[in-house]
Amino acid sequence: MSGALAIHTDLSAPRFRGPHRRAGAALVDANALIQSIAQSSDRQAFVKLFDHFAPRVKALLIRQGTPPDLAEELAQETLLMVWRKAALFDPSRAGASTWIAAIARNLRIDAARREKRSRLPEVFDIIQGEEPEQPDQVLSGSERDSRVRAALTNLSPDQLRVVQLAFMEGLSHQDVAKRLSIPLGTVKSRLRLAMARLRGVLEDLR
Amino acid sequence: MTASHRPSEETLAAFAAGTLDEGLALVVAAHLEVSPESRRDLIEIEAVNGALLDMIEPEAMDADGETLLRGLPTRITERAAPPVAPHDAAGLKVLAPYELGRWQTVGRGVALRRVNVPGSDARVFMLRAQPGTRLPAHRHTGAEWTTIVAGAYQHEYGRYAAGDFDEADERHAHTPVVDAHEGCTCIVALTGNVRFEGFFGRLLQPLVRL
Repeated sequence: MSGALAIHTDLSAPRFRGPHRRAGAALVDANALIQSIAQSSDRQAFVKLFDHFAPRVKALLIRQGTPPDLAEELAQETLLMVWRKAALFDPSRAGASTWIAAIARNLRIDAARREKRSRLPEVFDIIQGEEPEQPDQVLSGSERDSRVRAALTNLSPDQLRVVQLAFMEGLSHQDVAKRLSIPLGTVKSRLRLAMARLRGVLEDLR
Repeated sequence: MTASHRPSEETLAAFAAGTLDEGLALVVAAHLEVSPESRRDLIEIEAVNGALLDMIEPEAMDADGETLLRGLPTRITERAAPPVAPHDAAGLKVLAPYELGRWQTVGRGVALRRVNVPGSDARVFMLRAQPGTRLPAHRHTGAEWTTIVAGAYQHEYGRYAAGDFDEADERHAHTPVVDAHEGCTCIVALTGNVRFEGFFGRLLQPLVRL
């Protein structure tokens, strides 16, 4: 391979993409990347998805109490699952981040329960297979995802923290209050405000 | 089906995060299977989880995508699983992955059927009661979560009909009365202890292993 060509290839190759985007930056074409894997086993698309999501899945799992080594392993497994299940991805149901978060959750449940296999991942699949409320409504999961994301970005840091603990970590409101050393009432009112904002941006999708 | 009693947001969030005990989660799942409104709430909560994943401060990976790719098959083979059929007589799809015991009569008009949920701290069973049955008064030290599969019952906190979710904890003492015409079939998960009162209650006690 000539030097010039190599440089050209390097510039366009995803692995030489610039420094990591700041935390919170959405990979805008994640849906398209997954679909590209489904259609043409697109390896560059996989690398882009990996670069964005694997470090985030790992961070998420660590936040949920998974030891770092296992979090690394499960983050890799999550992305491998994205490759294998790409043809099952349906952006009208859920956007890429939501889909990937659910895959990571199922792998975490599996890993925590190696001895007595959990059936919950199957149960999640069964529920997901049920028809949505109005089968004919035009409800794009990707659209929902980007609005939810915008609404969360607008929350105050205090509100966001409560949402992270209650949703991402699945803590009871009582445990959120303990963790943050704030009154239970404050937890509930912050969550109510956050949810009101979310409901507001989703109103016409409901 | 429009349920008038649905899980709290707190419960749905814990369900979505996968942090609920599997027995309790199964009862929530039974409700979700029949309640499109709660499924919509779940979808929104999952979207919140997706957005939070996108917004999280990343943690450096040891592995890189290129290396991982080398081990990948070139062709993607995974396709959708065939649809799940409801578990024989139970009529609930979410029970399909679980082993069910036989129906056992435990008193006049009441039968129980154990649902085997490995790894759960809850005792999970289906309960079928004839019309008009008065279930024994009882108190809890833990949770008693119920999804009504068919028929209805009524207690101090309201009427619960098919599709409804009833979330009781140690703060609740109750005496459910089964609908006089339809009877009631439900799926129940119990954690902690339940103390039944009266003669009929003592009949039930051994069956819920207390």
